[in-house]
Amino acid sequence: MMRALFRQLFCAITVLASVGLAAQQTEVVLSSTSGAKLVLAVPPPVLSGVDQATADAQFTAVLQRDLDESGVFGLLKDKLPTATDPSSYGAWKDAGAQWLLLCKLTRTASGDCQLDASAIDTAAGKAVFTKPYKADRRVPIRRLAHALSDDLVLQLTGVRGVASSRIVFVRQLHPGVKEVFQVDRDGANVLQLTHNDSLTLAPSVAQDGRLAFVTYKAGAPEIWGQRTRDGAQVRLYAAPGGALVSSPAWSPDGKRLAFVQGDRRGNTDIMVMDLATGRVHRLTDGGGINTEPTWNPDGTQIAFTSDREGGPQVFLMQSDGSNVRRLTSEGTYNASPAWSPSGAMIAYVSRFEGRFDLFIYKLGEGKSYQITNGVNTSESPSWSPDERRLVFTSDRLGTMQLFTTDLAGLQVVRLSDLTNCQSPVWTRAR
Amino acid sequence: MRTSRIIPIATLALLMGTVACKKPAPAPTGPSQAEIDAANAKKAADEAAAQKAAAEEAARKAAAEEAARKAAAEEAAQKAAAEEAAFKAAAEKALVNIHFDYDKSDIKEGDRAILQGIADFMKQYSQARIEIQGNCDERGTNEYNLALGNRRADAAQAYLKTLGVAESRMSTISFGKEKPLCTEHKESCWSQNRRDEFHLK
Repeated sequence: MMRALFRQLFCAITVLASVGLAAQQTEVVLSSTSGAKLVLAVPPPVLSGVDQATADAQFTAVLQRDLDESGVFGLLKDKLPTATDPSSYGAWKDAGAQWLLLCKLTRTASGDCQLDASAIDTAAGKAVFTKPYKADRRVPIRRLAHALSDDLVLQLTGVRGVASSRIVFVRQLHPGVKEVFQVDRDGANVLQLTHNDSLTLAPSVAQDGRLAFVTYKAGAPEIWGQRTRDGAQVRLYAAPGGALVSSPAWSPDGKRLAFVQGDRRGNTDIMVMDLATGRVHRLTDGGGINTEPTWNPDGTQIAFTSDREGGPQVFLMQSDGSNVRRLTSEGTYNASPAWSPSGAMIAYVSRFEGRFDLFIYKLGEGKSYQITNGVNTSESPSWSPDERRLVFTSDRLGTMQLFTTDLAGLQVVRLSDLTNCQSPVWTRAR
Repeated sequence: MRTSRIIPIATLALLMGTVACKKPAPAPTGPSQAEIDAANAKKAADEAAAQKAAAEEAARKAAAEEAARKAAAEEAAQKAAAEEAAFKAAAEKALVNIHFDYDKSDIKEGDRAILQGIADFMKQYSQARIEIQGNCDERGTNEYNLALGNRRADAAQAYLKTLGVAESRMSTISFGKEKPLCTEHKESCWSQNRRDEFHLK
């Protein structure tokens, strides 16, 4: 009895220790990524009408995490000067800060919020970025932090950051019941998007935010989604005879939907439907499994998974089904391709020694790079809109959860503590 | 109202006058009014009794018929329930899961007897319709596993067709790795999850 109790206690402590270790490793990795990036110092914001605790939690912490995960800024955290007047810029430069970000956060009597932000180039001693932000009292302060972070990334790189973006994903509520959810890119504001009380899978988000997904609510799987930006969720397609449908994928122009349909003889094919006419045609021809279609950014090509040559491998074809060629060559199980927003890379998963890891195939080089490194399983990669990170699912902390990683695989961060998650899609459009 | 009462009285007076003017009539040979009334009353009573008896007889008959009908219906219901129970029991006995190797959809040698049993059940019970549900273990992508589960369901359907089961009596559905029976991360669990389930539709 006592021994059993001790064993349980020991197990509990071991679990705690390993979780703590994982968190600690993430921390170490975080600080090691700041090397080659522009070093930014963020002194505490000047507050007026906003209490310190709110500012710390809803603004400063949010902004720091956004900037840290932007991939282009390194945050200076130690030995910061206290003064922020122009005469102090030299001291900030000496401390290692290339940019000094000065923020003033004001809550007016009406409850509206104003953020005045400016970034000082400490070498030149002048502002490289100045912008006021105004927010209605209903808008959470954290949105201002996201907007500022995205503008700073835009200022530095020419491409807007993704702090204001969202992840759409599937979560299991009960065994057999899964629904589509969305969450802010930093794990805040979880919102359930479908209420089908059945298996609901494989969300795809169009450039304008329209949702498509598969639901089993009628028994056989059907593709449901939105025909207009804020429209109701309606049936978009059901296969004749209740045959399998899966993997809907909006074309970049939002006018077509690629998906997968079973042929009742064990094969699954990539199909494309024209949304305006409802006309459907088949792109692959019944040879084995063809699934997981993903469009290139101009909609001329589709990457997909097929077992036509044995185990699952990633193939490419033109979007009319012609010119099928195999992309992946190493390994016996390569799947889940995701074409990058610029078109230059395809992320996918590969099974190695029984586990799945994320890889990136660089089309220009014709070479694959491993991103994650054998920490349990890593699945379902989806690109950040700025192509700097991937969101994916992993059971490295027990159950399947959402993580993001930079493309070097060094800065792996758990996105939220939600459990039983799958099929994440990273989007700016919702 | 008033005239109608006067007329019968006048008629009676006239009648009495006529009798008084004639010779006394011989004693009447027919039944007296009292006798007639008594006869009529008896007749009416007999008729009423007959009607009552007939009604009682009809009611008795109806009750007997109703009872017979009830008994027959009960018997039929019992028979149907017994048949249904036999059908369900036969279904439960026959509709057993079959299993697959990793990333495979070939019907295993050892599962052929199960499929033969399902085919026999389908032959015995012509009303039976089944849904074949293909499932996978957790290893591999959600979407590839949906395709693999689809292929596993289709493989069982094709095999049952070769055993003479009409395709119109079978439907297939894939749940990929979305509905595992067992959620531990080990082969003893995965092998249970790589399965086709057969359900009455």
